[in-house]
Amino acid sequence: MTEAPTPFESRTTSGMIDPAALMKIRSMELRAKGVVQGFLRGIHRSPYHGFSAEFTEYRQYSAGDDPRYVDWRVYARSDRFYIKKFEDETNLRCHLLIDHSRSMGYGSVGYTKSQYAGTLAATLAHFLFRQGDAVGLATFDDRITQYMPPRNRPSYLRRLMAALEADPQGRATDLGPPLQRLARMLTKRGLIVLVSDLLTSIDWLESDLGYLSAGGHDVVVFQVLDPAELNFDFDAPALFRDLESGRDMYVDPPAAQKGYKRMLEAHLDKARTACRRLGIDYHLFATDRPFDLALLEFLQDRMRRHKQQVRRAQGSRAGRMT
Amino acid sequence: MSFLYPLLLAGIAAIGVPIVLHMIRRHTRKRVTFSSLMFVRTTAPRLRNRSRVENLPLLILRCLLLILLAVAFARPLLSRQEPETVVRAGRRVVLLVDTSASMRRIGLWGQAIDEVRSVLRDVEPMDRLCLMTFDRSARIQIGFEQWAGLDVSQRAAAVMDCLSDLSPGWAATDLGRALVAAAEAVEDDEVHDDQQPVGPRQIVLIGDMQQGSRLDALHTYEWPATTELVVRLVDPRGLTNATLEWVAERDRLASPDGNEAFRIRVSNSSEATTEQFQLQWDAHDARTEIYVPPGTSHVVQVPPPSDPSAIHHLILTGDDHDFDNTLHIAPRLQQPIDILYIGRDDPNDPQGMLFYLRQAFGVTSALHARVTSRRSDGALRVDEVVTAHLIVTTDVTGAEDLAILRRHIETGGTILLVMPSAQAATMLSALTGSGRIELQEADTDRYAMLGRMEFAHPVLSAFSDPRFGDFTKVHFWRHRRVDLAGLANARVLAWYDSNDPAWFEVPVGSGALLVFTGGWHPADSDLALSSKFVPLLYSILEYGGVRMGTQAQYVVGDPVPVTGPAGPQRDARVRKPDGAAVALDAGVDTFIQTDLPGIYGVESAGETTWFAVNVAVSESRTDPMPFENLERLGLSMKTPGPAAIGQVAKTTIHRGLVETESRQKLWRWVLVAASVVLLMEIWLAGRLTRPATESQGAQP
Repeated sequence: MTEAPTPFESRTTSGMIDPAALMKIRSMELRAKGVVQGFLRGIHRSPYHGFSAEFTEYRQYSAGDDPRYVDWRVYARSDRFYIKKFEDETNLRCHLLIDHSRSMGYGSVGYTKSQYAGTLAATLAHFLFRQGDAVGLATFDDRITQYMPPRNRPSYLRRLMAALEADPQGRATDLGPPLQRLARMLTKRGLIVLVSDLLTSIDWLESDLGYLSAGGHDVVVFQVLDPAELNFDFDAPALFRDLESGRDMYVDPPAAQKGYKRMLEAHLDKARTACRRLGIDYHLFATDRPFDLALLEFLQDRMRRHKQQVRRAQGSRAGRMT
Repeated sequence: MSFLYPLLLAGIAAIGVPIVLHMIRRHTRKRVTFSSLMFVRTTAPRLRNRSRVENLPLLILRCLLLILLAVAFARPLLSRQEPETVVRAGRRVVLLVDTSASMRRIGLWGQAIDEVRSVLRDVEPMDRLCLMTFDRSARIQIGFEQWAGLDVSQRAAAVMDCLSDLSPGWAATDLGRALVAAAEAVEDDEVHDDQQPVGPRQIVLIGDMQQGSRLDALHTYEWPATTELVVRLVDPRGLTNATLEWVAERDRLASPDGNEAFRIRVSNSSEATTEQFQLQWDAHDARTEIYVPPGTSHVVQVPPPSDPSAIHHLILTGDDHDFDNTLHIAPRLQQPIDILYIGRDDPNDPQGMLFYLRQAFGVTSALHARVTSRRSDGALRVDEVVTAHLIVTTDVTGAEDLAILRRHIETGGTILLVMPSAQAATMLSALTGSGRIELQEADTDRYAMLGRMEFAHPVLSAFSDPRFGDFTKVHFWRHRRVDLAGLANARVLAWYDSNDPAWFEVPVGSGALLVFTGGWHPADSDLALSSKFVPLLYSILEYGGVRMGTQAQYVVGDPVPVTGPAGPQRDARVRKPDGAAVALDAGVDTFIQTDLPGIYGVESAGETTWFAVNVAVSESRTDPMPFENLERLGLSMKTPGPAAIGQVAKTTIHRGLVETESRQKLWRWVLVAASVVLLMEIWLAGRLTRPATESQGAQP
């Protein structure tokens, strides 16, 4: 008699964890832990080791600095005193910005976009907690509905998980006000991960995201869409009801599918272009994609960005030393 | 197949709802919730042929379900006999018309005639009808057979002709007896008509249903379940009806002169609009004003009329209906009673028995007793003996006198023989015609008491009540012991506590000799001082044939005894209030034709005695009786409109259908079929809607 596979053993052909199976686990924390552990187990031979542990920065020694932190190697090469930044100072402050508008309550694959986004955010939070980064959370619809400042305590992670498990009760999506408010609140630079379906007017997206990037934050955008939203592959004519506005509209999907896809593609292009223009990492996720893949893409981007930063730092340091 | 409630089949029309819904159900039936319609442009529905019905099997199931439910509620039944056949069956109708005194109120009889005419209009040729009238008793005026024998076109006219000869009488109402008679008439008619299908049976009661109607007969009668009573009430024009009743007549009997005030109870109807009335004797005397609120009664003292010996009528005025406003009071004449005492006593000697006998028979307003005494000297006249109502003898010595007395007994007379001494044995032997009778003075220890008494004897029956039967306080100092062996047919009324006979009766011829072995004078006993003495003498007097305290007040329809002291009167005749004289047949001792209120005179042997006949007091309780009184007795009641008979016929048919339906209970099977169809509908609908559900997005 063969035993039924556990959700973590239920992997897709590409070796990723099937999200439908994963979402059957009720505990958000357990889901995130499972994804991260499985991910780390699968990449232990890979060169990815995180992005904040090795991040270092040097500044010139000034009176009052603790001499214990002088980098003697640099002094040996350059005969100048440079202070190596402490590890806690280099720890990442990450804000998970989760869309809790009504549209996030939609789902055609057995779970909603909100559940998927929550699990994704929980996975990232768990991963970041493991490497000692502080993780905060802000949920929003057309305003910030909940804010938890970044912390790095085990009990805080559980609070984060509990907050992520809450169902979306918000109203329509409007990125402007919450992002503006967040930009004002976050004085220290850090990482901001925005998880949203971005089903809002795209015209203001660039300016809204610009508030964050202009503040020196690293911004990562995860656009989460349901496969039905991407394909609009309904078969029968029906009266469609807009979750956010409550508006009813008679739609014959075969007739409307083409126009829908065209408009959606334009919308996604605009979002992608805006993010690229602002230097923001943009990821589009269908809710049937494995979380491992999302985490992998996220880390790849972070590594790429980290290398760029290291290169920039080394270049500037070499310039200063010469 | 037919239906108990066919109108409910109209519920089948409800199948139009699912049909329309299946036709108009467009593509909008399916609703899909979507995250955002910002990329969606509305599209015009692709038109379909609207006359096309979607999901035909489902529609058929739903229509079938509605049809089955409507059929179940209509209560189907398999009827072998078509209702029309039942309708054609002849109906049996008893027209029961009230002719009691209360129907004499203004306008009631005319309404009753109209109601009869209305009923006759609905009578079909195949119906059988019986016309009955009732007051104290029910009378068939036109029977079923007589009705059937009449030409169809003449039937209604015959009934109306019969009624035109009738009018309400003066008698009281016995509604219960009339209803029983009517129900039995209907049932008896069916017994003789087995070939004809049983049609509806109905009794149409036309009357005022006044509260004074008697219903006693219905208490012991099981009303036929298939006989229906239809009541057609007639309403009086005025609601105030007062009546008067003479109460406590016995008080006046006891008074020596009878010149006391009359106690009259005046009652007013509960719906009366007037409460002031007047009482007056014969329109000559002064009026007595009285106030009686509605629904109450007052007793008033009315002064006696100026001439007490005349015929009197007390008349009440002030109400709307006068049929019961006259109280007839018969003039009561003192009845002369002759009592013959044969003995040696001095009338004024308290040691003798005569003294107490004269005291016992005092003069009252009803009786005038004359006690005459004489010695037995052999000169006793026959006429003295014959005219005497009671003969008391204590000493008879002459053989001629004994022979006269014996003949008197043999012809039906009653003699009380009191034996004051043992020498009376010869007297007893002579009067009874027996041989020698042993009689001796009893040896009494101080005194003897009456130990055992025969209360079943008419003489002592007045003492049969335990309250009055205690004779132990009567002490007999002396008495005689009689050996009754020589008197084979003697019947002992009382024994002393020594088991010696105290009082006994010896039948002689058609009369009787009562014998007391001890007297009531002080030498023998203290019986004369006992409270039992006077009743005992009066009881003996009545035993001798004298009617005392004869009631002189009767109600209409009561039989009135008209016997004299010596039995039925010869050549007697009764003069009725309207002047008509009714000769009494020989041997008849009861007059039954008391059909009019008023004073009746019984004329016999040159003397006239009077008795009064009044309208029954119950007839004056004219408030309508609640129908519930009849329903409580098990009657199936109907209060129909104009088409009474037709409705009742339909009701009877309907009742038959109800019985058939309750036997078959087809609706249960129809409901089972409906349940099966419902399950099929649920299964099919679930199957048809499942794909649509899967296409919908998950809800938050």
